[in-house]
Amino acid sequence: MLKRRKECIAMLLAGGQGSRLKVLTEETAKPAVPFGGKYRIIDFPLSNCVNSGIDTVGILTQYQPLELNNYIGSGKPWGLNRSFGGAHILPPYSKSEKSEWYKGTANAIYQNIPFIDLFNPEYVLILSGDHIYKMDYSKMLDFHKENKADCSIAVIDVPIEEASRFGIMTTDENNKIVKFEEKPKNPTSTKASMGIYIFNWKILKDYLIDDEENENSSNDFGKDIIPKLLSDKKEMFAYSFDGYWKDVGTIKSLWESNMDLLDPNSGIAIKDKKQKIFARNYAQPPSFVAKSADIENSYVAEGCLIKGKVKNSIIFTGCVIDENVSVCDSVVMPNTHILSGADIKYSIIGENVIIGQNARIGDSPENYGDNWGISVVGKDKSIEVNQVVKPDEII
Amino acid sequence: MKMTGIIFSNIYDNTLGELTKKRTVASVPFGGRYRQIDFVLSNMVNSNITKVGVITKYHYQSLMDHLGSAGAWDLDRKNGGLYIIPPFANMSTEIYRGKLEALYGALSFLKKAGSDYVVLCDSVVICNIDFEKVLESHIKSGADVTCVANKEAENMKEESKLLLKIDDNGFAKDITINCIPEDDDYAGMGMFIMEREKLVEVVEKSVAHGFYHFEKDYLQYEFNQGNLSVNVYKFNDVVLKNSSVASYFKNNFKLLDYDVRKSIFNPRAPIYTKVRDEAPTYYGEGSKADDCLIADGCKIMGEAENSVIFRDVVIEKGAKVKNAIIMQGSKIGKDSVIENVIIDKDVEVGMGRTLIGASISPLIISKGEKI
Repeated sequence: MLKRRKECIAMLLAGGQGSRLKVLTEETAKPAVPFGGKYRIIDFPLSNCVNSGIDTVGILTQYQPLELNNYIGSGKPWGLNRSFGGAHILPPYSKSEKSEWYKGTANAIYQNIPFIDLFNPEYVLILSGDHIYKMDYSKMLDFHKENKADCSIAVIDVPIEEASRFGIMTTDENNKIVKFEEKPKNPTSTKASMGIYIFNWKILKDYLIDDEENENSSNDFGKDIIPKLLSDKKEMFAYSFDGYWKDVGTIKSLWESNMDLLDPNSGIAIKDKKQKIFARNYAQPPSFVAKSADIENSYVAEGCLIKGKVKNSIIFTGCVIDENVSVCDSVVMPNTHILSGADIKYSIIGENVIIGQNARIGDSPENYGDNWGISVVGKDKSIEVNQVVKPDEII
Repeated sequence: MKMTGIIFSNIYDNTLGELTKKRTVASVPFGGRYRQIDFVLSNMVNSNITKVGVITKYHYQSLMDHLGSAGAWDLDRKNGGLYIIPPFANMSTEIYRGKLEALYGALSFLKKAGSDYVVLCDSVVICNIDFEKVLESHIKSGADVTCVANKEAENMKEESKLLLKIDDNGFAKDITINCIPEDDDYAGMGMFIMEREKLVEVVEKSVAHGFYHFEKDYLQYEFNQGNLSVNVYKFNDVVLKNSSVASYFKNNFKLLDYDVRKSIFNPRAPIYTKVRDEAPTYYGEGSKADDCLIADGCKIMGEAENSVIFRDVVIEKGAKVKNAIIMQGSKIGKDSVIENVIIDKDVEVGMGRTLIGASISPLIISKGEKI
């Protein structure tokens, strides 16, 4: 029987706990963490898919999926409510023979082989839900086809001193991958894997099935699938990406990446209309900026009431910042209310938080040396009047 | 399904001058990120009215573009949803002579609507109203028609299209049209509820007799004949009526008042609009915003005071904007001075320009102009 098919579908790994984000991911999956004033991390890979002409995305969820499921809904905000294709939430499910959680990234895809087969795709794009970047995957797919590759891996140049934190590819002059090392102690290349793979589905499917049968495998793309393909001398190519890309897996990197939005030279052009980032919209009115407000070098989303000082900061939708408040170099997530006299520096304030009057949160790194860090207040918390939250403290 | 909604998009097109040169009164931008129709449409959706017909006659391209498949209002539905009702045949290029004539073109929609009641609404009234409460009052009263009306503030008295004096039972005891309200008058808000089958009957009969004006030829006439009982639903919250350029200009700035915003932007009954996926607004070093309503996607580098700034507006360094309404996609060039001006969509004001209107009669810059 002739079946409709998709040339390429995306599988987005969104099940990780993101434990290094601490309180911010206590009750929510990392991809659902708010970012950039009105987005959530997952908006970036999802919007990239849409802007690259990929209209079928399987979203693999496992850890605390409620908020994420609710956020994705029918996929309408991203135009992913399609009659054939669209956004699909894929949690682990019980089966007649064996029921289990997703054991690793490769196992998560393995468990969803029937889903992928529904679309009978030529290619499968594997993505993760914890990076901030804007990328046209269709260019990578063209590259994959031109090279008649079995597998293409997106790579980004990193400083050599940081290379040991990544999976590092060594390539020949034709971008063919000749060596792959996961977090090498003595890196010989600076091409770091971005965790973005395109596979020919037929080949990947075979490897996933083999990998599942191997009891010693950790069922992980980086640790098992990629090395196996390489040792089998499959055609593997590294696709170099030179735009902005950041792993937001830690408090510090999440904060930095938000701050990068304010730096015109960082390369993440959030206002670029050609590659819009789409997000679920909450029908908030425009923001009101009062006479007493003083906003400089900051992003403020809609639905806010700003009466205080905001500098070098990102203020999300629905926040209230009272008079005589100072928010500097900080990220304030949706629907948080900061009462008068509070002073916020170098902090991430979670959603729905109330910061009491004259509370002091965080400080600049100058006086602290190695003990300094970003202060974090978790979702739904209340900070008392006059309470002090020290740098690096997490509440 | 209890209620069907009808929104008139063109009835008062001649009152907003330049702003309705190329659009319906319903699609005139208002309040920083909305079109006027968003308020009444959201009110209907928030009142569980999920079948809405928008009657339009001409210049409706911007309206269609704005409403799209109505997903933003959750009106992309299998049962019900949004229906755009353009003229059935091109009888004339004029606007409809009255709501009865407009409804005549919507008869097939009305006949099939299947609800017990119809809510009729203009698109120039900005408020946050629960039509379920209006319906409750209508049913309780047993009247033929319920009019929603409010008491105008002392200093806001201007000629009103429909005035009602009310007896102790909440029924109209006197109906006047197009005059200045007296102290005990309630001013109609262009919102009516009546039984659907009754409305169909009235529209067929009136138009057949050459009557087109709902308020005058039906409501007032039949009332004066003693044939019609009219219940008045008193609405006590904030109402902004954009019935002229002057009131439109003034009403935009009323949104700068906290209590007005609190009443209109009720979080339990939000106002929906077309989603444009703009980034948050960027405020540059040295920028200043004093008492401004500012939507997403803007870049504020200069100074703005007492203004309403729509999505995707750029105010360059050194520019000074005061008492202005700047609509979507417009740019104010470096060192330009703008005061008492309505700047329509996609206008480019170059460097060092000065545009100053009078507070009672603002300067209007038409859509797409370059200055």
